[in-house]
Amino acid sequence: MQAGTTRAKRQPAWHILASEFSEATLNEKGSGEYDPSFVITKLGAKVNRVVVAGLLERLEVRETSNGSSLYQGQMRDPSGVHYFSVGDYASESMRELTLELVKKIEAGEPVLLLMVAKSKWYQTDEGAIYTSLRPEEACEIDAQQYALWLTRTCEDTLQRMKHFTDSLSAEPTREGMVAAEIPEHMIDGLLVARNHYGDIEIENYTLNIMQALDIAEGRMEAASQPVAAPAPSTDADGESGDAAAGGENEVKDTIVSIIEQLDQGDGVDFETVLTNTVARGFDRTLAEEKLDELSNEGTLHEPRFGWFRIVA
Amino acid sequence: MSEKYETHVKSILAECPDADPEAVSAAFAKYETEFFIPPQDAMRSILRRFKGETTPTPSSGSSGSSGASGGSSAPKPTRKVSRLSELKGDDREIEIEVEIISHNIRNQTIRGEEKQIAFGLLEDNPWEENGEKTRWEFKDWGPNSNITPGSVVRIEGASVNEYQGKMSLNINQSTRIAVIREGTRPIVAPGEPQDISTLPSDGYVCIVGRILATRPDQIHRKDGSGSIEVIRGRLADETGTIGFLSWEPLAHEVGTLLKIEGAQVRTFRDTPELNFGRTTKVEVYHDKNFADVEALSEQTMVTLSELRDGAKDVDAIVQITEWAKRTFTKDGEERFLWSGQIADPTGRCRMSAWNELPITEDQLPLTVRLKGVRVRAWQGIPDITVDDADQVEILDAPPWDSELDLKNHTVEVALHELSTGASRVGISTSALVVSVREDSGFILRCTECRRVLREGVCADHGPNDGNSDVRLRLAIDNGLSSVSVLTNKEATLSLLGMTESELQGAIDDVGQVAFVQSLRGKMLGRKMNASGRSIVDEQGAMLLADGASMIEEDAGLRATEIRAQWRVS
Repeated sequence: MQAGTTRAKRQPAWHILASEFSEATLNEKGSGEYDPSFVITKLGAKVNRVVVAGLLERLEVRETSNGSSLYQGQMRDPSGVHYFSVGDYASESMRELTLELVKKIEAGEPVLLLMVAKSKWYQTDEGAIYTSLRPEEACEIDAQQYALWLTRTCEDTLQRMKHFTDSLSAEPTREGMVAAEIPEHMIDGLLVARNHYGDIEIENYTLNIMQALDIAEGRMEAASQPVAAPAPSTDADGESGDAAAGGENEVKDTIVSIIEQLDQGDGVDFETVLTNTVARGFDRTLAEEKLDELSNEGTLHEPRFGWFRIVA
Repeated sequence: MSEKYETHVKSILAECPDADPEAVSAAFAKYETEFFIPPQDAMRSILRRFKGETTPTPSSGSSGSSGASGGSSAPKPTRKVSRLSELKGDDREIEIEVEIISHNIRNQTIRGEEKQIAFGLLEDNPWEENGEKTRWEFKDWGPNSNITPGSVVRIEGASVNEYQGKMSLNINQSTRIAVIREGTRPIVAPGEPQDISTLPSDGYVCIVGRILATRPDQIHRKDGSGSIEVIRGRLADETGTIGFLSWEPLAHEVGTLLKIEGAQVRTFRDTPELNFGRTTKVEVYHDKNFADVEALSEQTMVTLSELRDGAKDVDAIVQITEWAKRTFTKDGEERFLWSGQIADPTGRCRMSAWNELPITEDQLPLTVRLKGVRVRAWQGIPDITVDDADQVEILDAPPWDSELDLKNHTVEVALHELSTGASRVGISTSALVVSVREDSGFILRCTECRRVLREGVCADHGPNDGNSDVRLRLAIDNGLSSVSVLTNKEATLSLLGMTESELQGAIDDVGQVAFVQSLRGKMLGRKMNASGRSIVDEQGAMLLADGASMIEEDAGLRATEIRAQWRVS
């Protein structure tokens, strides 16, 4: 006896690593006003709400054009970064917590955060889709709780990877999925994910999980990786002042990572790069300048005018 | 400087030449040991700290969304509409949600090749109950196997066909069909019987079933203009049983196998019922292999966990743990009602009887077999009603372990089962806390009805002073289902390890918002166990908890288990 009324139920929360969530480029929204909106990941998770955790890496206020304050932040887990925002729409408790966290970040205090958040997605005019989070509730956690979150997230991700792998040999229909013993809550997501993402590589998730489990077991040595040689100095472009170098390098890093993610072989066009850099809280003029620099210093090349690729 | 972080420290120093290498190294050590953040992940945070505040210039007036990361997609330019009337004759790649009204398959020869195609009628605006709806014909060239009559589907990537001013929808092999609601109103070919377990919650159906029970009844017209003679009873096949109500005379006896065409399913409370009317065709059916009454009757035996509001002709074996006579006055006349608590190994509920049962208090607990009783729910909790003493048979011993203390028995129920099953008493479940609501703590309840006052006002009884109470309002979740939890005063205080006055002091000290935030620090993302009773309805499941505790877990142990279980090395 099914009915359409199940739509009003609270959506469950998925434990998910930053890598799986941020790589998602597919979304779904029913036509009704109150229909939930979903981000669908490569592994077929149809996500409306998440439980995520990590190191709070950035949290700053941005004044929006209508005079309200929007706090934008990023949170790092072993697999990557979540982007989130807290606006006037957030609950009083979430806004108060955000103010406290801003102070801690400004003071350089390390903050481990756990948040229950709604998945959001945003589509650029060019059709690129970005995921981000809107926290509903959050709290600071200690390393033990972080470790527990890591284990839960690893387990759930492993489970999804198994369903994903099982689904590959199934007929791409609901009946086929049922026959392959794919559980009900994964079927819709896996069907559309396969259609949208095509053949994907899931080995990187295994690596993320191995690292996360090392951390959860307290085997920090195994989880640690040396860094590459120090980033090239920005002096090359003749800028002497170092005042904003960190910020500027961050812009560069961001631009490179955007191109890395969006490049489907033909490069990424100027406007897409800029829109997305701005969407992450950077100044457009600065971004334009840095895009130029990256081009000049040979990090990027332009296979055709206005399209950028990373020099292999 | 510790060698361990040498490369990381160098990276930082390259950007911040004035930083103290020892301090940088110490920062890496702190992130790693205290926060479990490996050095490569701590880089940015530490760099930021030693640089001082060099944040990127905030952009102004940009209308971009919040920060995001992602990849690209090559979206099809789909045109999403909610009504068929929005479509034009040359629209391609459209997306719409419709209900499939009819669906037929025919063989057609296309370019010398025999091919199956499907056609039928679909209707827009599927969600609005009595809304204006438009019907179009469709052709499905796939044909897609998941298009079934009665289902609501989202069609993505169909095209419009206009022929002599008549519009229809073409569904191609590349069109995606997402079933949003399985067919609840299948339009089954007449004379094609369905299994009782697969009957829809409303609509006309055909079934073959054996009569398990039948009795005459009267329905009194509300306006007092008399009463209607009806027959009530129960039919069964091998998949299940269903109650029926016949508005026409039905002379068949218990045990008769019938084929019934054009019966209407109506759902009262949570229980579907068949209605036979003037247009219903009832005939005796012959099938030697059809199960007999005895075998079919076993299906009416239920456990307390399976009780649904509105169910009739229910059989069950239960233990009566409390039983008392109650007196009340109706129309100036003193009347009696017997009621008490019953239990079986799946849970507990109440039972009421309108006649005296041969039970005295000193016999309790007492195991009985109930036959043909009915179920009503009060505040979502099922209550068995016994109308006649002969519906109750006293048994010598329970069919389960007689040592089981059912009075205090709590059944551990998985969260998903709890959220999708019936309302139950005496259950407990474990899941992660995903929400601690801002109104957790002290509340005022209406002095009349115990409802929570909103700004000193009860929705039913207006402004009043209210009585103070303590509760937590939570949501727990296992990634599959979400259940809201309300802990009562006792459970709240024991969970927080506080007395009521300590709790009051804690809230007075920091304020309500900070208090709730402190609860989140203790509970959010952590596992808890809650026990009590559940109420399940269309909005989901709610657990009214009289017991609650947090569950400690060891991350290292779990990580090792996961490695073993999933062979991640």
